[in-house]
Amino acid sequence: MFEVAWMEKWQNAVNSNGPMSWIGKHFTADFLFGFGDNQYQVSFREGKLVNFSDDIGPETCYGLAIRGPAESWQKFCQEIPPPMYNDLWAMAHPLHGRVTLEGDQMLLWQNMRALMWALDRMREV
Amino acid sequence: MAKIEPITGRYVWVPYDGEEYRIFFEEAGEGIPMVCLHTAGTDSREWRHQLCDPAINKNFRVIAIDIPRHGKSIPPYDWYKEEEEYKLTAKFYSGIVMAFCEALELDNPVIMGSSMGGNICLHLAKNYADRVRSLIAIEACEYSPGWHLDWLRHSHIHGGETSATSVFGLMAPQSPDKYRWETWWYYAQGGPGIFKGDLYFYSKDHDFRGDTEKLSGDVPIYYMTGVYDFACTPEMTEDTAKKSKNSECIIMEEIGHFPMSENPDLFNSYLYPVLDKIIAQT
Repeated sequence: MFEVAWMEKWQNAVNSNGPMSWIGKHFTADFLFGFGDNQYQVSFREGKLVNFSDDIGPETCYGLAIRGPAESWQKFCQEIPPPMYNDLWAMAHPLHGRVTLEGDQMLLWQNMRALMWALDRMREV
Repeated sequence: MAKIEPITGRYVWVPYDGEEYRIFFEEAGEGIPMVCLHTAGTDSREWRHQLCDPAINKNFRVIAIDIPRHGKSIPPYDWYKEEEEYKLTAKFYSGIVMAFCEALELDNPVIMGSSMGGNICLHLAKNYADRVRSLIAIEACEYSPGWHLDWLRHSHIHGGETSATSVFGLMAPQSPDKYRWETWWYYAQGGPGIFKGDLYFYSKDHDFRGDTEKLSGDVPIYYMTGVYDFACTPEMTEDTAKKSKNSECIIMEEIGHFPMSENPDLFNSYLYPVLDKIIAQT
């Protein structure tokens, strides 16, 4: 799970999702996603997941890093996730800390609806 | 034949602390008065299923209020000249609720609230135990930090969509989509800065640590918390309930922070036995 083939499926699920066309109309941001040892720079442009790369290095740019153990993300991706793992903010809230947020926090709050909608598509992979 | 619900909505002018507040409330049923308090940033619509449930309103006069600045209850006229941003306090919240009960001449009402409406039950137990019959504190605990965030009133952020989305994960995935998104809709309609201001009470002004043990126990408290509540977890409620005299703690499976609106059928099934106990005590 969370290998490149999985990322491609997630990308397709986001980009083929009907409501994302209007929910994500102004969603343009770059993130670093950390699923345990698998890390990807992920670029959204106007609601489309246009690119992801696992070539992380000195030239990698992103606004917000969203990292967590693979176990947290595996639970998040279950059809019925268990309590405290069913939502990014649930996992990242300071009370729980199952996922960390580092960088420009405003990117999360500005794009929260579209980002959460995109993350929910992980359950379709 | 028209499908008309039993709910009626009215306004009452409530004097409190030198102001007069025009407060909207909905009600249905007859019997023991039961005042329902909405969660932060929303309004009385969260309680529509309990208002309409004949198993509840046959024995209770169910009253759901919009506290000032929420729903159809307008802010004080001079709100736009206030020199500090809106911050709900325990003193104002508990005071306005009891002033509303007095204006309606409610005799020893049950107060049922969720989230901030649950947390205020602790303050009502402390300061108004002689004026309430029972307290149903839903998704409540003595301290719930981490929610008073500037992002929730920020010129670069859509307050409605962000407030609503930030609480969506507090609901259980098992709850029906139609009701989860209805709850989202309520949150998207709050006044600017109101959700954040309410969360000042929820996460800052409400800090009952050290006080819970001192409650007299004169008024019964029924704590009810859903397992998907990540703001007030079952463990947080259980810890508070253990310290509260004359209390009961009910942990609700497959439900989250908005039981009354996210999964009303399931929540009501947990609520009926509590209401039966309140009837038996009366």
